[in-house]
Amino acid sequence: MFKLDHKSILIGISVVASTALLLTGCLSSPSSTNSSAKAQSNELTGPYAGKLGAIDGGVIYPRENGMYTAYVLNEQSTEGINHGRVPTENELNAWNLDALPDGTGLPEGEGSVEEGDELYEANCASCHGDFGGGGHGYPQLAGGNQDKDENGIVKTLKNQRLEPGMDAPKRTVGTFWPKATTLFTYIRDAMPYAHPKSLSNDENYALTAYILAQNGIKIDGEKMTDEYVLNAEKLAKVVLPNNDGFYPNIDGPEGPANVKAFFADRAKNIGAGVRCMTDCKDPGMEAAGAKEAELVRIDYEMADVVPPYSTVRDLPPESEDVTISKAEKMYNESCKLCHSSDRMGAPAVGDVQAWGSVTKKGFDQVLRNSIDGMGGMPPKGGNDSLTSDEVKSIVEFMIDSSK
Amino acid sequence: MMHLKISKIIKGEDVDKTFKSEEATSVSRRDFFKRTASVSAVAAVSILAPGALFADDINIMEHTKWGTTLGDECNYNPYGLPSKYEHNVVRRTSALMSSAGDMHAAISMSPLHELSGIITPNGLHFTRTHNGVAHVDPNKYRLMIHGLVDKPIVLTLEQLKKYPSESRILFLECPSNGAAEWKGPQFNSLQFVKGMMSCSEWTGVRIKTILDELGLKPNARWMLAEGSDGSEMSRTVPVEKVLDDAMIVWAQNGEALRPEQGYPVRLMLPGWEANLCVKWLKRLKFGEEPWYAKEETSKYTVLTASGRSIQHFYANEVNSIITSPCPEKPWTDLKVGDLVEIEGLAWSGHGTITNVDISFDGGKNWREVNLKGLVLPKAWTRFSYMYKYEGKPLLLQSRAVDDSNNVQPTVNQEKEVVGVEGVYHRNAICTWEVNAKGEVNNVQVRS
Ligand code: HEC
Ligand code: HEC
Repeated sequence: MFKLDHKSILIGISVVASTALLLTGCLSSPSSTNSSAKAQSNELTGPYAGKLGAIDGGVIYPRENGMYTAYVLNEQSTEGINHGRVPTENELNAWNLDALPDGTGLPEGEGSVEEGDELYEANCASCHGDFGGGGHGYPQLAGGNQDKDENGIVKTLKNQRLEPGMDAPKRTVGTFWPKATTLFTYIRDAMPYAHPKSLSNDENYALTAYILAQNGIKIDGEKMTDEYVLNAEKLAKVVLPNNDGFYPNIDGPEGPANVKAFFADRAKNIGAGVRCMTDCKDPGMEAAGAKEAELVRIDYEMADVVPPYSTVRDLPPESEDVTISKAEKMYNESCKLCHSSDRMGAPAVGDVQAWGSVTKKGFDQVLRNSIDGMGGMPPKGGNDSLTSDEVKSIVEFMIDSSK
Repeated sequence: MMHLKISKIIKGEDVDKTFKSEEATSVSRRDFFKRTASVSAVAAVSILAPGALFADDINIMEHTKWGTTLGDECNYNPYGLPSKYEHNVVRRTSALMSSAGDMHAAISMSPLHELSGIITPNGLHFTRTHNGVAHVDPNKYRLMIHGLVDKPIVLTLEQLKKYPSESRILFLECPSNGAAEWKGPQFNSLQFVKGMMSCSEWTGVRIKTILDELGLKPNARWMLAEGSDGSEMSRTVPVEKVLDDAMIVWAQNGEALRPEQGYPVRLMLPGWEANLCVKWLKRLKFGEEPWYAKEETSKYTVLTASGRSIQHFYANEVNSIITSPCPEKPWTDLKVGDLVEIEGLAWSGHGTITNVDISFDGGKNWREVNLKGLVLPKAWTRFSYMYKYEGKPLLLQSRAVDDSNNVQPTVNQEKEVVGVEGVYHRNAICTWEVNAKGEVNNVQVRS
């Protein structure tokens, strides 16, 4: 139970050393006393005056007599406060970049699937895998089965890992995402991970086109071949397979009201408990058709935590010199992302063997490779502002730390 | 300790030995949960039968080092630090707490087993980042509010802080708190079972106060909140919430926000999932239609067994956890008949905690227990029950109720509606198994 050697086994497969049905008796007893389950109502039940009706199904507390629950309000007039200023037209244009699913707000520009392929190989594949297939611990962008059932639901999204070995539902752009505009704006704003906002609109359209194509998406019935060129107008036409897979409906004038109605019926929609006090039977279990409760223990404990568990109160270990060298600092800033493990094909710092074969080439060659780039290694690790001498000191640090 | 009879003074080193051997027998199954010598010293003395030799406590009999030397200068640490002895009271993380292959898009957990009261020290606040912790220059900070308002505005940090401020004690919880446990228990630790949450006093301005000045157009239904970090975190917020209790905050427990919490400014939506409370806040835009940002589509949506997903799932629902005992703080030093306080935390994003019940038999029978201290809406609330330890195995559970008529569900009740692949918004009742030795393990009662 406390073995650490299974730490690489992922969540989900850990069911069940079931034991002792200490509960069987009580849980299968006939329907329980229900001493104080309250009916849903708009009545206040708590210590503060308020009423239900918040959009999330919760309480709206009044602001009255200068009080808001236990807080004294600060309700002084702010008339004429006049701080700040109106943004200029250019400032607004610089920041007002969001886009809606109908295409409102998308910028001009275009890019082809083929251009996207090249950009993806150079900027994204090291993390998201070839063709968006994942595999490096980073999110998978393409793949998964998009087949639908008779109700139009992507079948694999119904997968439930109730037993070991069952397939997880796969959440990729093709199987799960509802809107394609999200893909464009997210890549533009947040990717590539270490250098967000470094690509042009044309490049972002190309990358979006490539990822949509890898997911087999058709636009207006047209297959996205290598030559397919994506732009704002076409992106707004994309209907992703799981477009209808989300509820409540938030679109249009009734959007907020739909949300409110949904959360008003929490017992039905998100699951709620019952306040039984004695001889309680688990109603959820009854609904599941189960006769007995199981006590499920941890199968594979996730104990690989950083820093390691400890509740000891003692003096910390003699602190070594914690001031880190300039080289190490630069390494942390510009290189560690890729070089802390071999996940992306980089020689991991500390891996004696990997660095043994690197240094066989001779230091000068290795330094040249670090400055000019090689394979998945961008020139100077992607940080142009480093001087050659700085790169040299970092490479020395990396080699020293891997002996 | 009070009944100590001084019968014989044992030399310091012998006493130490006595304490050490006592410690060895009371050590829990894991050496990293070792009791400290001074704690077991108490146990060592108090379990001696009447008439037996009492060892005098060296900590009383001899002068202490700190009582016989000059301490540090009064302002030795211009920014104060915890005692060096508290160095194990830290946030922790694990590879499983990363949404990616490295720790820039990851979560670190608050050490709930070491916290007292309802306020989390800023350095121990749980942290979730999507593109690393951004370090914003406050002099270059700008906030833009625009869209469906009569008068759009840009504010510097100093201008923002000129608005009349309010302070509120509010919990923040990542909606994936407990997400590793949908299919069964995974971590044998309170810190990892429920540590994706913290509670602080936040200070800032109500957004409504600013909107009174800017003039919100009547057709505005949604607000886009956007962060300035590398992930440009954005989320769609309903205007109803904005006008009720949403705030823009710049302070946390009396000082500036920590970088990990969005320095210099974050959005605060009381009771709602922490991801919505966008950090390093840059822009608020009011509009008619929702934006469908990445973090409200690909992530932070709850996939149910039907194959369809709940979107715009805002509030963290009513929830509770027993914080003492817990796997990190077991009852291995108790003897039968000892009185011990069972303590815990309850919270609800829908309102105020009204009741907490606890069960010793895995949910068959329940008794209501006391709330204590401040009982505030959308804040951590402490509960307490004095228990006479019987040395018998227990299945300890707590169940919270709030003033919006929410009762915390069982694992099975939640599973029936949502399934086990929802990832987010798991608030099922937790179970600690206390065994005959007083060790505490994380288990689940389910079918
Ligand atoms: C250094 C690793 C790395 C590189 C290189 C990278 N990404 Fe990412 N990507 C990530 C991480 C980490 C996340 C998840 C971030 C989070 O948790 O919010 C992510 C998320 C995404 C997502 C959302 C996935 C989902 O299912 O929610 C998309 C789309 C994406 N990246 C596209 C790209 C594209 C296009 C590129 C190349 C221009 C790229 N990424 C380069 C690390 C990387
Ligand atoms: C985007 C990921 C990435 C970053 C950032 C990065 N590297 Fe690399 N690095 C790689 C990969 C991948 C390789 C392996 C290339 C190969 O073998 O084709 C590599 C290889 C190397 C090598 C071995 C070269 C050889 O001749 O075998 C050195 C030295 C090196 N990197 C130094 C650095 C330094 C210094 C930095 C920071 C300034 C850095 N790297 C940043 C990905 C990266």
